[in-house]
Amino acid sequence: MGNLDDPRLNYNYRTREHGTVPMDEERARFQWVSEVAYKNVHRIVSRGYDTTELVEKGYGLTDVLFIDFQARIPLAEENEMLNYVMVVMLEDGLSSPANISRIVAGGKTLMTQAAGSSILAFGHAYGAYQTFGKLMDGILARQAKEGKPLAEVVEAVVREQLNDPALGVSGLMLKDPAAKRMIARAEKLGVAGKYIPLMKEVVKAAQKFSEAPVDIDLLGATGAAMFDLGFTPEATWGILAVTRAFAAGAHYCEEVECEEPVRLGQTLTPKEWYEGPEDRPVPTLEERKKVAKAMEAQTPEEWKQIFLERQKIKGSGWAIVEEIDDPRRKI
Amino acid sequence: MDRQPLFKRKTAISYKTEEKTVVRGYNVSDLAEAGYTFYDMLFILFQNRIPAENEADMLRYETGEFLEHSMSPSAASAIAVIGGRPNLPAAVAAAVMTFGSAHGPGAAHGYMMHKYIERARVEGKTLEEMGKILVDEYMDAGLAVMGMGQPQHLDGDPRAEPTHIKHEQVCSVVYLALQRSIEKHFNERRKKEGKAYVAVNMIGAGNTALAELGFSPNAAWCIGCVCRGFSCAAHAVYSMKKGRAWAASKREPMVQMLDLSMINYKGPADREVPSQAERQQYARKQKEEGEYKKWVI
Repeated sequence: MGNLDDPRLNYNYRTREHGTVPMDEERARFQWVSEVAYKNVHRIVSRGYDTTELVEKGYGLTDVLFIDFQARIPLAEENEMLNYVMVVMLEDGLSSPANISRIVAGGKTLMTQAAGSSILAFGHAYGAYQTFGKLMDGILARQAKEGKPLAEVVEAVVREQLNDPALGVSGLMLKDPAAKRMIARAEKLGVAGKYIPLMKEVVKAAQKFSEAPVDIDLLGATGAAMFDLGFTPEATWGILAVTRAFAAGAHYCEEVECEEPVRLGQTLTPKEWYEGPEDRPVPTLEERKKVAKAMEAQTPEEWKQIFLERQKIKGSGWAIVEEIDDPRRKI
Repeated sequence: MDRQPLFKRKTAISYKTEEKTVVRGYNVSDLAEAGYTFYDMLFILFQNRIPAENEADMLRYETGEFLEHSMSPSAASAIAVIGGRPNLPAAVAAAVMTFGSAHGPGAAHGYMMHKYIERARVEGKTLEEMGKILVDEYMDAGLAVMGMGQPQHLDGDPRAEPTHIKHEQVCSVVYLALQRSIEKHFNERRKKEGKAYVAVNMIGAGNTALAELGFSPNAAWCIGCVCRGFSCAAHAVYSMKKGRAWAASKREPMVQMLDLSMINYKGPADREVPSQAERQQYARKQKEEGEYKKWVI
């Protein structure tokens, strides 16, 4: 049976068992294990608090975010600060989440597909809260380990990562005071902890090394404020991506209200934008045997040559060199 | 750095310059500085207006209770997706996208309400009468009446009636009148048919209140579903940090979600793969016999 009879296989494929695996009676049955919430027929309980009792007693969405992610009722000042961050983060014009929502809406989809897909805009450059958090925590961990002054450690990191989109410092908000006002509000409310002072050091270092003018941007301000409110980088990533998704819903509505749906095959790509190979005849299947050859590397040197050749093929993915991080990795 | 938008659109929602971000005419930083809340922002975003305080309070109440619902299709999806350890937003996006015609059909309920309120106006009927017509038309057609019943909260969703009461304290106009009529006639008819009482669910209660607050069917749906995205992010982060990736480990004391023993296969019995020489004859016979049709999905 093809390669399955190859003696190099360390098993006999044909005699392997068929059928499903019987129920595992040795271990406890599967349950949804959660430290976050449970419900029964009569109640929904988050971190021990009945959610209906919470809203009846005047708590709201922002309080429940502290409860869900941190298992605690926030101080009034903390709640006020979270509200502030979410008000500023809700909408950002025709940026990536709104664009994605509108593109999905154009296919005549449900609103939930458009709003949900907008969340996917948040990565390690746009809204890079996880990466930003690891960077901040990395600086603090390094300072604790090396025992050097914070400013010195910050300068060493910033010098290496000055152009990192997850640094929280850029030229994006040189004329817009919103980020600096957010930091000032956190300090005024007394909710600034270790991250806002750290962020200020990062800004100072970036301004020292950057040739172009730079200042704290929205990632730096919202990230530092959220971390000082006790939210982890991952929680911040989730909360602020979802915050923006409400506005993506409004963009979905406007796109459906004002634009025609887009049909399969409708959108053209101008030839002038094309920079691939010239138009060429398709070889017959007979000709293929002569024309086509496998790109096989026999040696590491050949592999390197082929690798470099492949990097020239735009859209092949070979020119992308990245480290796909395991989210479980600890600082 | 290119700061031009990806594609050209006229929009009445917002604009952004190097100096500020403006939503419906208001600078968002100024709104935050002035002490407006996220609840106020949702009114500005979707309705182009600053709400009265009691309206914002109603939205506080609703979004607070919408946010967490423990294990429902949305949370289960977030947990399943994060099992592969992608970036967190993938799990949260999947969770929000679970909302459809069965899980939280908010927009559909809103459109149903609009259709029957309009009919009440055109046909000169009261909302009380229209509630009965709606129930009869849906039930005669064998359709589920949206806003009624919840598969887990068999005695009624714990949030629903308190939401109705809160709603009545803020305002009680067309939507709640129709919704209450639907609930009454739905259960009267069920009683006549010898069926058990079914309570209003959070679509019936929550979506009705959002409609009364001035949110369109899709805006109301967005608020409800996207709110849930927050808690799904929490469930995903918990699973990512404290659960085991892949959800199939034999080393866990509890059988995992994707343990092989969880698979209950009910499809065609195992069968020999035909050789390529046999293929045409085999495939033709299979097509003629048509037994495969019962497996087509």
